[in-house]
Amino acid sequence: MSITLYDFELSGNCYKLRLLMSILKLRYDVIPIDFYPGRQHKSDAFLRLNPFGQLPVLQDDDLTLSDSGAILAYLAKKYDATGQWFPNDPAITAQVLRWHAVADDITATSSAARLALGMFYDVDLEKAQQGAHRIFRLMDEHLWFGEREGRDWLCSPAHPTTADIACFPYVMLSEEGGIARQDYPALRRWTDRVRRIPGFIVMSGIFPAGRALETV
Amino acid sequence: MTLSLSDPNWYPIASSEDLPFRHVYQGQLLGRELAVWRADDGNVNVWENRCLHRGVRLSIGINEGAELKCQYHGWRYANRSAGCTYIPAHPADAPARRIENRTYPVVEAYGLIWSAANDDKPFTPFPGAETGDWFALRPMPVNATPEAVLAGLAGLAPDDQPAQTLPGLAIRLGDTLYFVQPVDAGRSVIRGLLPGQPADTIVTLRHINETLTKLRDRLERAAARQPAPTPLQPVFERVSADLATMPDIAIPRGATMPVVVKRKWASADGVIGFELADRDNRHLPTFQPGAHIDVHLPNGLTRQYSITNGPGDLLSYVIGVKQESASSGGSKVLVETVREGDVLAISEPRNNFPLRRDATRTVLIAGGIGITPLLSMARFLDKSALPYELHYFTRADEQIAFRSELGALHGKVVLHTGLPRPQIADTIASALGTWRLAQHVYVCGPAAMLETVRSTAAAQHWPEEAIHFEYFKNDKTIDDSSSFEIELARSAMTLHVPAGKTILEVMREAGLTVPSSCEQGACGTCLTAVMEGEVDHQDVYLNDSEKASNSCMMTCVSRAKSQRLVLDI
Ligand code: FES
Repeated sequence: MSITLYDFELSGNCYKLRLLMSILKLRYDVIPIDFYPGRQHKSDAFLRLNPFGQLPVLQDDDLTLSDSGAILAYLAKKYDATGQWFPNDPAITAQVLRWHAVADDITATSSAARLALGMFYDVDLEKAQQGAHRIFRLMDEHLWFGEREGRDWLCSPAHPTTADIACFPYVMLSEEGGIARQDYPALRRWTDRVRRIPGFIVMSGIFPAGRALETV
Repeated sequence: MTLSLSDPNWYPIASSEDLPFRHVYQGQLLGRELAVWRADDGNVNVWENRCLHRGVRLSIGINEGAELKCQYHGWRYANRSAGCTYIPAHPADAPARRIENRTYPVVEAYGLIWSAANDDKPFTPFPGAETGDWFALRPMPVNATPEAVLAGLAGLAPDDQPAQTLPGLAIRLGDTLYFVQPVDAGRSVIRGLLPGQPADTIVTLRHINETLTKLRDRLERAAARQPAPTPLQPVFERVSADLATMPDIAIPRGATMPVVVKRKWASADGVIGFELADRDNRHLPTFQPGAHIDVHLPNGLTRQYSITNGPGDLLSYVIGVKQESASSGGSKVLVETVREGDVLAISEPRNNFPLRRDATRTVLIAGGIGITPLLSMARFLDKSALPYELHYFTRADEQIAFRSELGALHGKVVLHTGLPRPQIADTIASALGTWRLAQHVYVCGPAAMLETVRSTAAAQHWPEEAIHFEYFKNDKTIDDSSSFEIELARSAMTLHVPAGKTILEVMREAGLTVPSSCEQGACGTCLTAVMEGEVDHQDVYLNDSEKASNSCMMTCVSRAKSQRLVLDI
């Protein structure tokens, strides 16, 4: 196997793949793409790899894949021997895919706001921020009741899945888009838990959490 | 009602469940942002949400269990006191005096965390609070004014059972209590308490959550039609420049404070432990690993003892005192006459033995009672998951002090018991190894051991700056036969120092207040900058290159080789 990631360091969507590959202890090569300011993801060469003109793109031997959610599922199904990250159970698969879709909504709102403030993209900032708050409110409620019911993660298994990875980066980066997380304490606690997953790696703007209390 | 920044009322700002261990909760009250965190000892801290260094939010910092570390620059603040315990990259490695973050009052009660904008009013429970168990509801943040939210809650009451308004933006609906947390002029959080745990918890919680969500939607729609109120503008009197900037190396002697001996016990054969606590159970000042206190003894003597505590552990200081059979003075009085319940005067903690926390490897070497400062260092390194090795040399097994405390550490702790002299040297040599960048060794023990470590380390290419030790005693005989002039640059005075008198004494006689502690050139308290002249160093505090630089001296023992010294005093 030889994995190559077409990567932009500051992209949360690329980071999702780096994060899962780090957790799964996969080795991979990186080809940096200058997304900003170079707009290399709209270059002819890149469009030949991914006609949608979006990062990330991942090559595994002869296979070329795009869309972070799809690639997360691919990596988990192919390389996660434990089967935990993308469980086979049909009901859980549905849950995971549901949250992959939410992750896309978070990208369309929280990440868009960040692009507007940090990389001068032309988006309706206020609308993007409001949209992110609407999703965060729902997530906070879901996670708060989850804690009461003994569930720590977005989906029902007792361990994280690709759903948690898919939703995590642009929640963490929301402040860069002017979206405070003060009103979402359960969401904030969940981000601590994600940051304590063994194999967790950082990206610019996403820090590690403190060590959990060891209870003997 | 208009919100006031100086409103002294207590409001709930979080649920107890919002504060799991090792998490930092982000809150806000009356426009002031708060970092709220629970330490491993259960204590809840409510602090202004800004690091004193650059104002980075502490709510994105790291809760290490006993200290909160700023994520950006690594400044650390202690549980309870909010005292800064570490400033990375500071030449003296640590703040030598008290730098404290702003704290707010806090009470944890009825499943909620309560706070107030100031200390003006004592916490009073709501009517009926004491009568039972309370169960906290899911908090509901609402983008609307606190007044509107309170009115909205009142509107939930059925006609035949009107809501009962309580002081402090609270309301009783049937047997449920609701509190409105005034986050800011246009933002609130609804917090609620049920009497006792409901039979079907989740169903009840979901039901109430749904009702409150609908109320919120209504209130926010109404608020959107109104002009937004101006947010409250809390002004933060800046912490005095004096306190928020890097401290000098030497600090004045400072006041003493009374402490009560809470516990006295034999920690090992020949080592007596003393636990010293505030008389009213308040926390003691922040200290750093390696720090000591001066204990004022009933017979008028002052002695220094290292604090053995771990980080943020401020409800008492634990010291270890060596029970020397032939000892006159100091320790003997403590060991023989001071009993549990007695009151002693101690100084604020002072640190001449600062611990660097940017080392890639830290070697701690203790001999006998020298374990005390190193135990504290080990506990700090342990909590921060930094790599360290602690080597503890004693003559016999029964002499190992603080055994259970050592057992609770996760790092490498090696006990070396009953080794013959030459073997001690070999053990130290292999414990040190050859020096590599960013390795540091700290040693505390009998003079012979310090010398062994010093010479072994030097032989194994450890640079002087990587070897740290603390002398409590200066064993050298001081030669005070010289006489010379001192010129005090800032005070514009020239004084004559005759044979037999110290510089310190001469300055005091001239009416200057100058700090000192050990007065034998061991503690560093009287450190003074030298501007001109050649110093005759006789202290054991400065290292060789510091001495050679001729830029500072200990006025309690050192003298002049030249006719004249110009001091920066
Ligand atoms: S007073 Fe301690 S070194 Fe001078």
